[in-house]
Formats: sequence, structure tokens, C-alpha cells
Amino acid sequence: MTLNGTDMLPSETKIKFASRFLRSLSKIKKPRSASSLKETQKCSERIKVAAYSSMAHAVGSRRAWSRAVLVKLGSRARQRQVLMRRKRSKVGKKCKRVGMKKKKIKNCVLGQENKLRELVPGGKSMDILSLLEETTHYLTCLSAQVKVMQTIADYYSKG
Amino acid sequence: MDPPLINESTFSPANPSAYSLAEIWPFSGELGSGGLGLRMGNLTRNLGDFADTSMHRDGSAEESTVTEQSGGGGASASGIRRKRKDANSEDESSKMVSTSSANELNDSGKKRIKLGGSGDENSGVKAEAEASFAGGSKSSEQGTKPSETPKQDYIHVRARRGQATDSHSLAERARREKISERMKSLQDLVPGCNKVIGKALVLDEIINYIQSLQRQVEFLSMKLEVVNSRLNMNPTIEGFPSKDLGTQPFDVAGMLFGSQAARGLATGSQPGWLHMQIGGSFERAT
Repeated sequence: MTLNGTDMLPSETKIKFASRFLRSLSKIKKPRSASSLKETQKCSERIKVAAYSSMAHAVGSRRAWSRAVLVKLGSRARQRQVLMRRKRSKVGKKCKRVGMKKKKIKNCVLGQENKLRELVPGGKSMDILSLLEETTHYLTCLSAQVKVMQTIADYYSKG
Repeated sequence: MDPPLINESTFSPANPSAYSLAEIWPFSGELGSGGLGLRMGNLTRNLGDFADTSMHRDGSAEESTVTEQSGGGGASASGIRRKRKDANSEDESSKMVSTSSANELNDSGKKRIKLGGSGDENSGVKAEAEASFAGGSKSSEQGTKPSETPKQDYIHVRARRGQATDSHSLAERARREKISERMKSLQDLVPGCNKVIGKALVLDEIINYIQSLQRQVEFLSMKLEVVNSRLNMNPTIEGFPSKDLGTQPFDVAGMLFGSQAARGLATGSQPGWLHMQIGGSFERAT
């Protein structure tokens, strides 16, 4: 069975990703102060998130992994909003701790399948068959993403 | 209408290569008489052999299925199934068991039960449906249980030679084949993974590749951050040369999509938009 669109990512998706990524890149605030380490880290983190989210948007909700990414990002935004609200009302910081605990559980040593599950977004709830299929698609998308980002970076660093 | 009964002429075209008739049914001589007896019992059964790739598993490989009603007491179905033969895949035998409403149940010797305990495993619906001629050295289950399942017309079972045919193992086999197929397609994607043998190693390789890609994304985002901040700072330090605003977006578009076949699409639709975006960002920055 040839999986449709997984052998080569359609150029349409690539273009969508590139345009979306460039747009979000331009939106990202630059660190105003002389770059402190934390600020730069935050910024690069934001760029990374932007890259993933724009890839997921470009793929659309057809795929489980992109759906997972979108949901995750959406919940993240929601969480941030909640956090903001809590900060305003001066309660808070509980959410962060919960997140830490979950991460620790995640890091347990598991089998290879489960490793793959961790790597592929949304893989935890899949059976092995769909996991492999999603992995295939995710791999193509990821490599395309890397290529596009590479070209953008090269171009800007050159100019 | 009398269905074509089980005899050599019906079988031999159906089994071109994989199984000779003698192998399947050592008692072809008896079969005629058995067939006559079966005619009364209005049960006919034909089988074909097939081998298909797992994609065709779910029935697409069935080229023809003939169902006929014999003139006896109840309804019985006889099916001819032919399956395509693929050189790569393991051959499998197709089986269509027809259970008649009459007293006779018949199953051809195509059903090979693994030597050992698997004969005993075979139970339930299938066991009821089968009364196989014990053929050759292979032990197949003997058990004519007449008129226990009058409502069932036939059951489709496919199994390779010498493999268990209960539905669980069949499903499991289908699943495994699908998995290995997906693994193959994954293997094609990951560079240098074709030489690796073994599922665990392949999975390792895939995991490593994904991790490396994700790390690459991280690295690139860091790089982009540096570049981005520099770009954003630039205009504030010294006014961004106005000519660059015009040329750059087109260059970006050409560079991004230059390697692609769909260049026309890229340069046709995107540059204006990109121009707008990048230009906008610069304007905002100044």
C-alpha cells in the first residue's frame, strides 16, 4: 500500500508551512534589551513552537499527529490565559507543578514503541498500526520542515 | 440447478500452482462418490487457492464468488474463490466453508491444522462447520456435527498452509503483515535504514532519526532567533535600505521553492504575499 502523500510531501503543504512560519516569525517580538540568556531562550522556544504549529496548520486536521499538536497548542494558549487570569487575581502557580509531575512520569524508561509514542505527537492513544502510519507522515513533514527552516536561516544569515 | 460439485475438474483450474489436487485432497476418487452423497446433502464447496499481498486481504482479491443453490432440501452455498498469486507473498489457501442445513457438513482438506494441540483449539463455530476429510499425514479435525448450525451458510477463512485458522490467529496474522508493511515504508524514509535488519534495530534507527530532526528544529529555531533579532534590530540601528525591501521577498520565494517542481505556483502566488509580510514586518520595526 502506498500511503498517499507520504512519499513526498506535496509542495502545497511546504508553501503553506513556509508562509505561515514566516508570518509568525515576523510577529515574534525580538528581545529588546541587550540579549539576556533567558530572553533568547524564550524567543527561540517561541520560534520552535511557531514552526511546529505552522507545520501542523499546513497539514491540517487530517492527520492525528497534527491534530494533537494543534490541540496541545490550543490548550497551552488556554492555560496561558488561565495563568494570566490567575496572576491577575494573585492565585496560581499550581498548574506548573502538575505539568512537572506529568513529565517525570513520562520519562520512565519504556519500550521502543513507547519511545516512538513519546516522539510522535498524539501517539499515546494510538494503536501500533496507526502509530506507524502517523510516524511515516510525521517524518516526512518534519524533514520538510527542517529543510525549509534551513533555507530560511541560510538566507537570512547570508543577507 | 445442480451446482458443480467437488471434483477434479473444478479444482484443478482453481489450484494452478500452490497445491496440487492430490495434496489437498488425497481421496479424489472417493470424492466423486462423496460428492454424490453430498449432492443429497446439498452441500457443495469449492475452494481456490490464492496468495495475495496483505493489501488485498480484505477481500479485494476475491475475483469471483459463485454461490449456487443445490436442488436438495435446504439452501447451501458454494463458492469459488480465486485469489491472485503474488510471487513475493506467501501463498495462502482460501477456504469457504459451507454448512448446509441438511445433515451433512463438509469441509475440504484445505484446512490444515497445525500438528499439535491446535486441532483441539479449533472449536466453536468453525468446528461446527467443519467436517474434514483427514487427508495425508496432516491431521485435520474429524468431526461431523450435523445440523447444529443450520442458520449459518458459510464462513470465510483464509489460512496459509500449516497454520492455525481460528479467527484470532488469522486476524493477528493480518495485523502483523500490515505492521511489517508500514515498517518497510518507514524504512524507506529513514536514510541508511535499509541495511538494518530486525524490527528493534529499525525502530531504534527511526527513533534516532526523529530525535535528530527534532533537535535540528530546535537548533534551527535558535539560529533563526539570532538572525531574526539581528534583522529586527537592523532597521533601528541604521535605516533598512529601501531597495532590499523590494528585492528580498522575491528572493526568498525563489530560494525557498526554487528546487521544487511547482515553481510556477510558488512564484506566481506567493511572492506578493511574502512581500507584504516581510515588508510589513520591516515597516513595523522601523
